[in-house]
Amino acid sequence: MDEIRRHRTAECDHFELELEAYMEGEVRPFVLAHLGECVFCKVVCEDLLALRTAAGELPLEGPSPAVWANVRAQLSAEAAFAEKEGAWSWLWQLDLFRRPVPVAAFACMLALGCWMTAPRNYPQLEASASLAASGGQPAAVRSMAFVSGGTGLEQVVRELEEAFKAREGSLAPDVKATYENSLSSLDVSIRECNDSLQREPDNSLAHEYLFAAYSQKAEVLSSALEIDEGR
Amino acid sequence: MADRHQQKTIKTTAFPYGVGIFLCSLALPGLLVAAEGNRVEKTFEAAPNPRVTVSNARGLILVRGWDKQLVHIVCSVMSPRVEVDSEVIPPSGPADKVHFSTHILDPLVSGKDQTADYSLDVPMGTDLEIRDTQGSVKIEKLQGDDATVETVGGAIVVSDFTGHLFVRSIGGNIEVIRAAGRVEAYSITGDLHLVSPATSKLRATTTSGRILFEGDFPDGGDYSLSEYSGDMDIICPPSASFELNAKTDRGKLENEMPITIRHQPATPLSSANSLFGTHLTGKATVSLKSFSGTIRIRQR
Amino acid sequence: MSQQKTTAPKAASETQLVARAQRGDEEAFATLFEMHKRRVYSLCLRMTGNTAEAEDLTQEAFLQLFRKISTFRGESAFSTWLHRLAVNVVLMHLRKKGLQQVSLDEVDSSQDEPVKRDYGDYDRRLMGSVDRISLTRAIAELPPGYRTVFVLHDVEGYEHNEIAEIMRCSVGNSKSQLHKARMKLRDWLRQNEGLMTSGEPVTSDQAPTER
Repeated sequence: MDEIRRHRTAECDHFELELEAYMEGEVRPFVLAHLGECVFCKVVCEDLLALRTAAGELPLEGPSPAVWANVRAQLSAEAAFAEKEGAWSWLWQLDLFRRPVPVAAFACMLALGCWMTAPRNYPQLEASASLAASGGQPAAVRSMAFVSGGTGLEQVVRELEEAFKAREGSLAPDVKATYENSLSSLDVSIRECNDSLQREPDNSLAHEYLFAAYSQKAEVLSSALEIDEGR
Repeated sequence: MADRHQQKTIKTTAFPYGVGIFLCSLALPGLLVAAEGNRVEKTFEAAPNPRVTVSNARGLILVRGWDKQLVHIVCSVMSPRVEVDSEVIPPSGPADKVHFSTHILDPLVSGKDQTADYSLDVPMGTDLEIRDTQGSVKIEKLQGDDATVETVGGAIVVSDFTGHLFVRSIGGNIEVIRAAGRVEAYSITGDLHLVSPATSKLRATTTSGRILFEGDFPDGGDYSLSEYSGDMDIICPPSASFELNAKTDRGKLENEMPITIRHQPATPLSSANSLFGTHLTGKATVSLKSFSGTIRIRQR
Repeated sequence: MSQQKTTAPKAASETQLVARAQRGDEEAFATLFEMHKRRVYSLCLRMTGNTAEAEDLTQEAFLQLFRKISTFRGESAFSTWLHRLAVNVVLMHLRKKGLQQVSLDEVDSSQDEPVKRDYGDYDRRLMGSVDRISLTRAIAELPPGYRTVFVLHDVEGYEHNEIAEIMRCSVGNSKSQLHKARMKLRDWLRQNEGLMTSGEPVTSDQAPTER
């Protein structure tokens, strides 16, 4: 195509219709073919690409110092700023203490690791920092992880369950049924493992399954809450 | 007279049909437009080893590997208030990442009306990430680095896959056929069916579902299958060479393979059924665990 | 936003800053402001086209940020959370001003239909490189709805699904409005071509750009 076309053609109209999709990255053979035939439409396309590139390269502007001054003054008036922190404030900077599920999972992994590496004949086992040991019970492997009312994965799961119950009404009926079935299945395994451990505190398989059931329950509940929140 | 009566009867009978046909013909273009508007078909040029992600609420997602460097999608939706969106990164040139997602535009759209069925053809080296809440997922012939598939209630079937496969379903059944590489399959109430794996590492866990493993244990492989209360069936050829650690707390252990028993150094379980031993030269490692379900090891 | 990436050490130090700010540490507040003020201000400026409004809105965005910072749970990057908050502040402001074009579902077709004219030699010339002053002026001339989508997508790098969520419209709408915004910008820039570096004309023997 060598001569300069001056009239729009039906192909040019078709090109304009497909141009948006082409700019969004779709393969559009007609657009590619027309770009090779029509210099005017090629100019349109090149212009839009130049525009997009230029937009992405626009520099950042900065506000005047008055903006921070006003923000600071307003927040001071609202008493948003705290007193200077004490000597132990560094402890709370650890991200570990701000997220319940990873904290509990880490604590239980640590507990499990201690239990697995500790000599079998010694009844007293180390407990992790965030877990409370039950009072006065030797060989209290169970109490390391699952003391009723204490911290740990059990507590985290309880909190997730409460959040789930508060929001389960918003789930579609079939989705809710799937979650309820799975939670019920996990609850059965938790009960049975606890029963086993009552009779045989050294039952390593029961420990393993109990820990796994709690972890899976936390994951299932978190998954349900994520769906509910539209994520 | 009879003729006129007959004519009148015909007219009386035919009239409502005629009106009906007329009204339908008015609606037909709208139906065609609606049918047209409920189907999306797009093609994107892909970079080598692209990443494709799909996020869906309900409906089937079918992904097949092909030998073209293109990502091709056909998606049909039940409701015009359900939109299928695509994003490509970078926006021009071969795509490194292509993302598809279903958006429910109207909160009143619920249940089956939310359905969007996807059919994707992607380069065989594609990395995949799929989330389908209540829909099922089927993947065929991919050889990317990794694929992640998650559903809540939908079934997952993966066949002829090479790479790191991670599949998880809360309540759906999972089937993995002829996978090579690494496989992790998890469900709570769903069944797991593993067929002819050629994997170096396999982890499969279900709580109350059943596990059925059919195939060999390739040399050097590490296989770990665990269920809580469902039954586990292992069917392998007489040539399978593996070291076995099998234990169940309250369930039964039934074995047909000639296993050479060895002593487990750790304290034996007090009331459990267990079997530790070697079949042939023990070139693969197989760990089978159950709490209250039955473990059956059979020869093919 | 999907195109933003932070290096691990920077992300870790920002996490600590946010944690300190959540406990009311004034120095942490100030540092977070310094880190993000340009991005937020530029966003406000480009969406409003007015420096005084942009400063007011930047101020409002940071005030809201610090009041709500205790609710930040870290599921998204802090910058993503902040920029969304800033976008919402600007959109609320534009809505209060009664600018209905901010709702992208309302399409004024009489404005949008281009006049299809025949081509002349002028139309063979590329726009060439676009200088930032002209582009900034052109963006300010856009109707608010088009301006919002263009700024969020092409300038700030939001993806269409993110824009759709922020603007409460469909992704299809976001894409079509973006395309129309670009075409309008092109028209304005070409009409005011004396401000720009002019490009070379395209001749028919030039090879088309392959994708």
